[in-house]
Amino acid sequence: MVAPIYIIAVALGLAFLLGLLKSSSTNLGSLLMLAGLAFIAFVSGQWLYEFLINGRATEMIFTAGFKPPFSINLRMGMQEALLTTMINAAGLLSGLYLIDTLKKTGINSMTVLLVFVMSLNVIVMTRDIFNLFVFLEISSIATAGLVLLSSKGNAFQAGMKYLIATGIISGLFLIGIIFSYLYAGSLNIDELNAAHIMDIKGGAIAIFIIYVSVILELKPFPANGWGIDVYTAAKPGFSALISSGTATAGLYVAYKLLPLGGETWLPYFTIIGAITFIGSNLMGTRQQNPNRLLGYSSISQVGLLLMILGLSNQLGDNTLFIAFSILISHYAAKAGLFWLSGIVKSQNLEGWAVLRKQPFMLFLFGTFIFALIGFPPFPSFFGKWQLIMELATQENYLWMTLILTGSFIEAIYLFKWLGFAIKLDVPSNIVMKFEWNKYLPVYLMALTLYVIGFYVSPMVEGGAFINYIPLLFVLALFALDFLPVFVKNTISIAGIIYYMVDLFSQLENDLMRQIFAVIFLGGAVLTLMAGYNKKGTRAGFYPMALMMFAGLTGIIEANSMLEFFFSWEIMTAGSYFLIIRGKRSMPHGYSYMLFSIGGAYALLFGFALAYASGLDTTIAALGHITQLTTLAYTLLAVGFMTKTASLGLHIWLPGAHGEAESDVSPMVSAILLKAGVFGLMLLFLYMGTGTEGGDKLLYVLGWVGALTTLVGNLGAVFQEDAKRLLAYSSIGQLGYILFAVSIMTQLGWLAGFTYTINHFMFKAILFLVIGGIVVKLGTHNMYEMGGMIKKMPFSFIAVLISIIVIGGIPPLSGFAGKWLFYHAIIQKGWYFQGAVIFFAGIIAFLYLFKLIHSVFLGQLKDNHRNMKEISPWILIPSYLLIIGIMIFSAFPQKILQPIGEMLSVYFPESLHWEGTKAYTSLGYWDGTTIMIVVMTAFILLLGWLVLMSKKIKKVEQFNIVYAAERPFRPETTHVSYNIYAGYKKAVGFLVTPVVEIFWDSMSALLFDFAGWLRRIYSGNMQNYALHVVLFIVVFYLIALGGL
Amino acid sequence: MEYIILISGFLLVLIGLWGILSQKNLIKIILGFTVFNTGINIVMVTVGYVKGKTAPILDVISPEEALTSIVDPVPQALVLTAIVIGLGVTALMLVYALKLYQDKKTLDINNFKDLKW
Repeated sequence: MVAPIYIIAVALGLAFLLGLLKSSSTNLGSLLMLAGLAFIAFVSGQWLYEFLINGRATEMIFTAGFKPPFSINLRMGMQEALLTTMINAAGLLSGLYLIDTLKKTGINSMTVLLVFVMSLNVIVMTRDIFNLFVFLEISSIATAGLVLLSSKGNAFQAGMKYLIATGIISGLFLIGIIFSYLYAGSLNIDELNAAHIMDIKGGAIAIFIIYVSVILELKPFPANGWGIDVYTAAKPGFSALISSGTATAGLYVAYKLLPLGGETWLPYFTIIGAITFIGSNLMGTRQQNPNRLLGYSSISQVGLLLMILGLSNQLGDNTLFIAFSILISHYAAKAGLFWLSGIVKSQNLEGWAVLRKQPFMLFLFGTFIFALIGFPPFPSFFGKWQLIMELATQENYLWMTLILTGSFIEAIYLFKWLGFAIKLDVPSNIVMKFEWNKYLPVYLMALTLYVIGFYVSPMVEGGAFINYIPLLFVLALFALDFLPVFVKNTISIAGIIYYMVDLFSQLENDLMRQIFAVIFLGGAVLTLMAGYNKKGTRAGFYPMALMMFAGLTGIIEANSMLEFFFSWEIMTAGSYFLIIRGKRSMPHGYSYMLFSIGGAYALLFGFALAYASGLDTTIAALGHITQLTTLAYTLLAVGFMTKTASLGLHIWLPGAHGEAESDVSPMVSAILLKAGVFGLMLLFLYMGTGTEGGDKLLYVLGWVGALTTLVGNLGAVFQEDAKRLLAYSSIGQLGYILFAVSIMTQLGWLAGFTYTINHFMFKAILFLVIGGIVVKLGTHNMYEMGGMIKKMPFSFIAVLISIIVIGGIPPLSGFAGKWLFYHAIIQKGWYFQGAVIFFAGIIAFLYLFKLIHSVFLGQLKDNHRNMKEISPWILIPSYLLIIGIMIFSAFPQKILQPIGEMLSVYFPESLHWEGTKAYTSLGYWDGTTIMIVVMTAFILLLGWLVLMSKKIKKVEQFNIVYAAERPFRPETTHVSYNIYAGYKKAVGFLVTPVVEIFWDSMSALLFDFAGWLRRIYSGNMQNYALHVVLFIVVFYLIALGGL
Repeated sequence: MEYIILISGFLLVLIGLWGILSQKNLIKIILGFTVFNTGINIVMVTVGYVKGKTAPILDVISPEEALTSIVDPVPQALVLTAIVIGLGVTALMLVYALKLYQDKKTLDINNFKDLKW
């Protein structure tokens, strides 16, 4: 074992040695510096190993042969070992990263870097407050020195601002130290903490001064302009070290000194942390410069951690776990992002599109962004989960809300940035050069996130049961990404089928989950089949698609709320990447992500309330929510409704589904939307009826469902874009489902299930076929199509059958849905909503007609004369689904009867079966007989027509006379552009994008506010010094002045 | 007497702060810092002073007397350290002022607003 004191001794010794070297021997110097950094990393790492593996006791290191208070002492315990290891790892990697810069600036800069990292170590380890001050000063001076690694003018300015601000802060800290020494008679932190200075007259002022300077060192909003500028101007290689190292050490200082003031001071940490978290994230939304954006993001994360420290008395034993998991995510992600920024070398966010030239780096970029927001499987996900759960048990809703709000604002700018990188044109003027010393640190930080995430997950209650196998499969697909589509597609389908078989053995007595498993995984197989049609490697598609399906499977398998939420977020991440693959999908992927994150936070809040109600972590906890019951159910419903795209939360859908790739649209429409339905059904089953708040919520959701249907169907009617028409139709269909399940009777739910199954089948067919046609014809616009019936007869039949289902026309299963639906409405007595739904149902015919008329009927356009049928790989899954529709239509009782029996556990029986006949109090219906009758009539008619066909005379396309003219262009005889102009005049006001306008003005409000607020960062260093002084004054007035 | 010194120490701190916040010339701002630091040092020494006692230097008095007759040596040691650190910071600030002057040929603080918002 190497004693921790050698960290200081070796670093200082080397620093002096470096000073003796000739200024030309930069190679030797850099070698020595790296060796020194590696050595101190080894020392701290070895201690960490001892504490972790051998359970060693905390070690005190005394200096100068005396014990405190007569000498300085250091402490090396679990926490110190962990943090110094983190700091030294970042230090070593930064040294490696900056090696060329350091060689250029000379040996002195290497000395400074070494001393800087050493000073952070001492800040963490020291138990003497004056020693702390000294090393804080050393780190400040070293920071100001290392800012000069960048030789740009703005770096001088940033360094000066930093010096002025830290000069004031450290002067203040000194006064605080001397007064606390006066009161406690010791400089030893443990003795100071034990001295109860708070109880001594005037002691509060000493504590105040120490706290305000410790907090100011952490750059609280808004007194942090000096810190932001350093992040912006320094070399990104060094900013990485400030963000990861200095922040880590500074936070630990705050943690060490928490007992000094005791619980009465904790709320100030929380408040300042919250203001910093939200304020800095707001500023982040307006940033164009990646380093400045990262600076704001760094400070916001420190704010969050400060909040956690302030809440430590409420978080109890979990404080350290929560703080660590969020800190390590911030540490690794921020260091990685700053280093990446040094590789990309772009002064604006748009330039990051260059990452697409190196997809693996783009993957790492995505990793860092997702880790910062707190997505699984990264540590911050578990930390945030635990944080919110604990706060809920303390009924601390305000802080929960603020934390989630701040995280959401952070997502706003981080995902905008990620979207830029994924979608914007690759800039030609930026070149990313591979240098192993710059790339390796980035790799290692990303790896850290995955590894630590995996290791912290079992520390959360229920986290040990998380199923990582699907994710490993996704990882394997990443590794195989170079293979051609055919191979990867086969592997994916085989994997899903294998998993489906395995899953079904677990779901034996759970029909509801079985149904959704078929929709999710069966749907996955069918939609993936269409992928055989694609050529090349289709880079990145398969891991993302499989990630979405892994998430979907996970929500079915989940037993605990944590597993559910974990899978929910995995699904969101996968689907985001699928959606944003579309050519023009950047804004749509972005809005999908923001709605998803907002929804996920609503879910998280709801789950936390459920957890707090009985400390039950299983999903069954949703059944007995006692804390803020109505709010909890509302939040959960809203969270699920962001995925079902219900009214108000639907605006992301048309673009996301309409612009997605031809086989992604069916995945996200036919399959993904059902995740929201599954969530809602789970929620409603646990919620049940009869609670006052719950019933009101159901009533409101009924109306929301009805109006969603109306808006969705109306939106579809006036579309010219075939895929957007289908997307709006999805909104409408999901409205039906929401309405049906909100009825909360057996009939209503049967209708809901029928609609769910039907929508899965027909929307998959429609998006597959129409998507195939859109690709083939090269246009989304239906008025540019026409007459495809002769060129694509199989497509025509598939679409025709689908629209018969949507229209609810016998004998197909859509009619079953309608029949159940209207019976349920009448039984429930929701006549007004029923009228809206009925009206919307009629409107549906308009868009269905438009679809089939504009695309397949009418006149063939000149440029389409040589078109052929779409790929069989699209038609095969479609026809498999048609077989499904036919079976469901002919034998509905085979599926609906078991569902009814399952539902009778929850609801009074309102439908019973006699053979193939379904009876309700209002009448009966017999799907099989209808099918037989209609089919017989159809076959007879068809036979008769075939017999008569000998007499048919074929007519050429233009063998017509129209208004005394002979048309010669197909367009003139095929009216399909704006064919519902008349209706538009009459009811067009109903499709005013009120909701879009609402969300647009909300975001404009946010951006304007942030733009106004950031004027405080005037760039003037005196203003920044004034901010520091004002911060002190205001904090004083609030804490001690009785304000 | 020591109150007068303590108060003048605080006054120097405030004067220094005023200088930092109001002067436009970088050199004057740095001078403000030295005044600010001097004030803090005076405050520290005064806090450690005990009325009627002598300096903690064992050459002048015998170790036996020391326990009862010297002032607390810790603040004085702290001040010495603080002065050294102050020197380092001031030197670094002056280097920065020099660099800034070389870059923009001015010392007026209002001219260094390249980074904002």
